[in-house]
Amino acid sequence: MREITATVLENKRIADGVYSLTFATDEEIRVRPGQFVMVGVGGFPLRRPIAVCKADGERIMVCYRVKGAGTRALARDYRMGEKLSVLMPLGNGFFVGEREKRVAVVGGGVGIFPLISAIREYSKTRQVYAYMGFRNRAAVCMEYDMTRGEKLVVATDDGSVGYHGTSVQAFMQDVDTVKPDVVLACGPTPMLHALKTAMKGRKIPVYVSLEERMGCGIGACLVCVCEKTDGAHARVCKDGPVFEINDVVL
Amino acid sequence: MADLTVELCGVTLKNPVIPASGTFGFGREFDEIYDISCLGGVATKGIALTPWGGNPVPRIAESRGVILNAVGLQNPGVEKFIAEDLAWLKGKTRVIANVVGRTLEEYEGVCARLDGLVDFLELNISCPNVRCGGMAFGIRPENIEEVTSRAKAKCPHTPLIVKLSPNVESIARNAQAAERGGADALSLVNTFTGLAIDIERRRPILANNTGGVSGAGIKPIAVRMVYEAAHSVKIPVIGMGGITCAEDAVEFFMAGATAVQVGTQNFTDTRACPRIIAGLNEWCDAHKVERVADLTDTLQLNG
Repeated sequence: MREITATVLENKRIADGVYSLTFATDEEIRVRPGQFVMVGVGGFPLRRPIAVCKADGERIMVCYRVKGAGTRALARDYRMGEKLSVLMPLGNGFFVGEREKRVAVVGGGVGIFPLISAIREYSKTRQVYAYMGFRNRAAVCMEYDMTRGEKLVVATDDGSVGYHGTSVQAFMQDVDTVKPDVVLACGPTPMLHALKTAMKGRKIPVYVSLEERMGCGIGACLVCVCEKTDGAHARVCKDGPVFEINDVVL
Repeated sequence: MADLTVELCGVTLKNPVIPASGTFGFGREFDEIYDISCLGGVATKGIALTPWGGNPVPRIAESRGVILNAVGLQNPGVEKFIAEDLAWLKGKTRVIANVVGRTLEEYEGVCARLDGLVDFLELNISCPNVRCGGMAFGIRPENIEEVTSRAKAKCPHTPLIVKLSPNVESIARNAQAAERGGADALSLVNTFTGLAIDIERRRPILANNTGGVSGAGIKPIAVRMVYEAAHSVKIPVIGMGGITCAEDAVEFFMAGATAVQVGTQNFTDTRACPRIIAGLNEWCDAHKVERVADLTDTLQLNG
C-alpha cells in the first residue's frame, strides 16, 4: 500500500453517467483483481474509493459513476496531465485457488468494473464465464474487455440488448452446464442477496466484493464495516472488500 | 532546525503533533505508509472495558469542507488493546490511550487497568454518537468534575487528559470543572453534532441520523474555544479541530495550546502528520522561532 502522486492520462465518459479514469504511476505497482484505490479530489475532505478495472504496469484504469459533488468534480477537473493523489493498492482482492479452473463472474451496475480485472487476470489460465447486468443499452460499456473469457452474457433490465433480466437470472440458467468451481460477484446489495439465495445448497464457493462509504480506506477508522454472520464487524476496506458470501450479512 | 520538543505534564514529546483519536486506529495501518515513530504521540481509538460493536452503517458523510461521522466507538476492549495493540505500539512514540465508558465504573475500570501502562490517558466524555455515556458525562460542569475525579483516583501514575465537547453552554466553565476534578491536561474540541440529509430519499445520510462534524470548516470555532479554555485554567491544553497544515497548528499554539491533534486531515492526506511536523520546522526557521514551545499563548488581542 502506497500513497502516490499519479498523472492523469485519460478521463472520459464511457456510458450514461460512467467515466473511466486512466492514470500513470511513477513505478509499477502490482494490483490483484478486486483491489481498489482511494482517489483524492481537490477541495473534498474524503478520498473516493474506486475499484481497479485494469492494471498494466504503470498504467492503471479505474471506472466510476458520477453520483455526487465529488465524483462530478473528478469527472470535470481531472483532465490529461493533471496530478492525482492516490492510495493504492487497497483491500484483499479476489482469490481463486490453483484447482479452481472454471470461474464464473456475475456483476451488476458499477459492480462490473472490479470483475473486469478478474476476467483479465483469470482468463489467462482458466475458463471464465461472465454475466454482466446493466439497466439498459445506454449503460452498457467495456464489452470488449469482458469477451476475453469463454463466454459473455450481457443482461439488461429492460431487455434493450442481450438477455432480458438480471445477471443473476442469466447466470442461474447456465450454472448447471457451466459448472463453475468458484463464483465472483459484485453489484448492488439486492443483486448479491438474490445470488446468495439462488446458490444456497450448491456447494460452490461464492466471493462477493462489497461497497461501503469509507473514511481512511486503510483499516484505521472503522467507518466502512459490514456485519459478519458470526456477529462480528469486518472492515470492508481492509478485511474486504471481498468476502465469502456466507460469511457476511447482506 | 527549530526545537520541536514540547513538555506535557512532565512528559517530553519529540514534537507537538498527535493524530487524533478515532482517525488513526492504533497506528498500525498508517505505519505501512510512514514510520509513525516520527509523531509526537498517538491518540488511540477509544477503548472501553469490554468490546463495543459501534453503530450501523453508513457511519460517514461529507459536507462542504467537513465530514460527519457516527462510528459509535467500536473498539476491541481494554484487554485486547493491551495484548495486541499496545504491545505493538509501545516504545514507538508516546501513547495516549483514549478511554470511553457508558458508566462511571467503566471509565474507572479502564483507567485503573491502563494506569502505568501508557504515557497518557485521554478521558473521552465528549463523543456525540453513543446514546448513554460519551457526551452524557461531558455537558454539565458537575458531571465533568465527578467523572474526572473518579477517573483520576484510579490512575495516580498516569497524566489524565480530559477531552471536552464543544456542544456546551460554556467551554470555560467546563474546562474549569475538569481542572477542579483533577485533570492534568485538557484536549479540545471533539466534534460538533450535525445532520446531513440525502434530499432524494428525504432521510439522514448517517444511520445514526446525527454525527460529529469535523474537518477544515470547524477550525475558527475550535481556535476560539481553545483560546477560551486555555485562558480559564492553569493546566496545559491540547488543541484540535480542522488542522490541515503547519500554519493551522501555529494558530492553535498562539491561542494557548501546548500540542495539537490532527484528525480528519489524516483521511484527506495520509501523510498529513509528518507533513505538518516538517512544515512546523520550516515555519519556525522562517520566523526565527527557536523553540516551537515558545509559540504557546502568544496571541495578543486587539485593544
